[in-house]
Amino acid sequence: MNSLRNNLIILGLVVVLIGVAAYLIFLRQPVSEATQLGLDLEGGVRVQMEGFREDGGEVTTEEMARAIEVIRDRVDSLGVTEPEIRQQGADQALVDIPGLTDTEQAVEVIGRTAQLYFYEVLAIDQEQAAGPEEAEEVREELREDLRGDSEFEEGETQIIFGEQRDPGVEGIFVTGYIVSEDPDMTGEALNNAILTRDETGRLGVQMDLTNEGGRQFFELSRDISQNALASGQPDSGQLAIVLDEEVVSAPVVSEPISGGQVIIENRSNPQGLPQDEAEELEVVLQTGALPVNMEILSTQTIGPTLGADSLRSGLTAAAVGFGLVLLFLLFIYRALGVVSAIALFVYAFLLWGLIVAIPVTMTLPGIAGIVLSIGVAVDANIVIFERVKEEVRKGKTPRTAVRLGYEKGFRAILDGNATTLITAFILFALASAQVRGFAVLLALGVMLSMLTAVVVTRALLGVVASRNFQLSPAMMGVSKKSISAAQREVK
Amino acid sequence: MISRIQSIDFVGNWKIWFTVSGVFFVIGLVAILLGNLNFGLDFRGGSQFTATNAQTQLTEGELREALPQDIRQDAQIQSLGQNGYDVRTPVVSEAEASDIRDAMSGALDAEISTTNISPSFGEQIRNDALGAVAASLLVIILFITLRYEFVFAMAAMAALTHDIVLTTGFYAIVGREVSLVTVVAILTILGYSVYDTIIVFDRIRENTPEVGYNRRRFNEMVNQSIRQVVRRSIYTTISTLIPVTALLIFGVAALADFAFALLVGIAAGAYSSIFIASPVLALLKVWQAKRAKEREAKEAANPTSP
Repeated sequence: MNSLRNNLIILGLVVVLIGVAAYLIFLRQPVSEATQLGLDLEGGVRVQMEGFREDGGEVTTEEMARAIEVIRDRVDSLGVTEPEIRQQGADQALVDIPGLTDTEQAVEVIGRTAQLYFYEVLAIDQEQAAGPEEAEEVREELREDLRGDSEFEEGETQIIFGEQRDPGVEGIFVTGYIVSEDPDMTGEALNNAILTRDETGRLGVQMDLTNEGGRQFFELSRDISQNALASGQPDSGQLAIVLDEEVVSAPVVSEPISGGQVIIENRSNPQGLPQDEAEELEVVLQTGALPVNMEILSTQTIGPTLGADSLRSGLTAAAVGFGLVLLFLLFIYRALGVVSAIALFVYAFLLWGLIVAIPVTMTLPGIAGIVLSIGVAVDANIVIFERVKEEVRKGKTPRTAVRLGYEKGFRAILDGNATTLITAFILFALASAQVRGFAVLLALGVMLSMLTAVVVTRALLGVVASRNFQLSPAMMGVSKKSISAAQREVK
Repeated sequence: MISRIQSIDFVGNWKIWFTVSGVFFVIGLVAILLGNLNFGLDFRGGSQFTATNAQTQLTEGELREALPQDIRQDAQIQSLGQNGYDVRTPVVSEAEASDIRDAMSGALDAEISTTNISPSFGEQIRNDALGAVAASLLVIILFITLRYEFVFAMAAMAALTHDIVLTTGFYAIVGREVSLVTVVAILTILGYSVYDTIIVFDRIRENTPEVGYNRRRFNEMVNQSIRQVVRRSIYTTISTLIPVTALLIFGVAALADFAFALLVGIAAGAYSSIFIASPVLALLKVWQAKRAKEREAKEAANPTSP
């Protein structure tokens, strides 16, 4: 009688759990928003990056964490919903941006180091290149020329380049600049950056300097204009604004500039800077430089249609697989099959509840993990039911057979599930982000199936047995022939 | 059907099972060693562009003409069903990738999804994957040794090696693309195959009498244990392969790839847990007993030795 009460308590608890799951899935929010979909099902851009140093040194976890903070700010300024940015291992970052379709833009904004330097230009040389391929050669030529310049001094100065496309003119203007090895000012002087238009409507990016930066800039601009005056060519002194080793702007400085504002612009174009380029500059300048450089490991765009197709196909496969497995169980185990079918439904519903409650982001590999865990859940019942049938064939009463079947079958299930869990944990620890969804759902599924396939079915069978409801061998799918065969064997 | 399987002498006929598996094993191993494995984008690096829902139907040749000139020669183009296309290129820059995408979406009036993987990342993924497989094998050996005996772990390893080589070899023979998903599938197969083997071993452990080892008795007991669990093995294999087959039929490319590897691996795993792991265990036990006997004989011959 006591065991009946225990069984009823277990079933009561399961009903409560189902209630909680139902609340989480259907009532807390509209059911269509309950499950968090991963990028591969929803569509969006995924970028995987690895931090590195120019000098080849190790990137520390802390530096990477700081870099990720900067990246987070940049992604937020793109105005997208629910981006996900994660650090992987010591030196990798994974950025998921739902709803975006252009990887090029994403990479420009989030992967850029954005190291900002200001230099006094010592000498320049310019040449025109026909296209992007020729620009490389032109750079080499300019480098050779500038190395012969009297301003060039190995170790003290360096040569940097800038490129400009003028509307109406074919080709690219490549300019080489000789500047000192160490920058005169760095991005630390920067306080903020905003888009701006000058009096003729040209788009530019205005940088507001800090107080200290404004003072430094005043001195720098004073030096540049005075040096030009001293060399007998007033109004020829140039300032190079360099972002990630490319000159983005090189305005002429004719007098000391106070006020702490510098504008990056393109004077030769009536539109100024192109809109998207200006916006990217604004973002990276506002959020500051990354403490390390980023190498792009992989990028992925998933269109919303492709994502929806994947989701639909995964759900169809899961539903069909689930249905056929149910039929198979009913066919093989008859009355016992009904019990395990009920348990399988409970399993599926509670798993959904768990996914929503934790919450686990559903991905395509995750669906594969779920489909596979259906197999694991069913196997636990098969192991036990086969054991029960064996005992029935040996001549045990159904009630005793059920008890023995669970006792003996459970140990094998425990060992077997332990190995599945081990592989799931190793997958989770060692594999990349794409695989983790699979490992998480497989592990969740295996643990939950221990509850539903063992505890719930046992309680159900216990309650059924206590109601004086007799399970005959035939109802369990045991034929009379096999019973007599087994009995003969024993004799 | 099942009763006929139950009348098989699983241990006694080990030469037959080992020959059958040996042939497949060697064929698979040769195919792998000849370098027939077709490593995909995940491991080599490169770019992939998938067009879905194309409103304009083009032949592969027409689509090639629509691509930017410098990539046209190196692109591999494949149509996917009615209005889908798959274009693969060597590694390209983000700007080039953008050009290719624009060209495709313009020509096909389709939604384009892209994947761009750098070669160094591919190498990293491969090393991670191999590390995960090696770590799993080690932990499983440890687990079985703790719960059972070391010879059980060795027998399980024999079965696992069999399954992994057969699955990978099958990939090499049919030339299907090996991706990250394939590695996940192999790890899953590993877990499944051990599970299957453990169910058999658990029964063997349960049936092992308290009295000492006797070859004829042990082998008959192993046979008896397999007979008791073979029905479960068959049913479980069927009930696992049902959803896997559903994935293969209804799933999109990545899911179908995963299901394909599982289909081969789970079938191999079900076979190996019965026809490889158990006979190997029986043979190892014979070897173990022989060694123990030799040691005893030695000690009996030199009774003075400490």
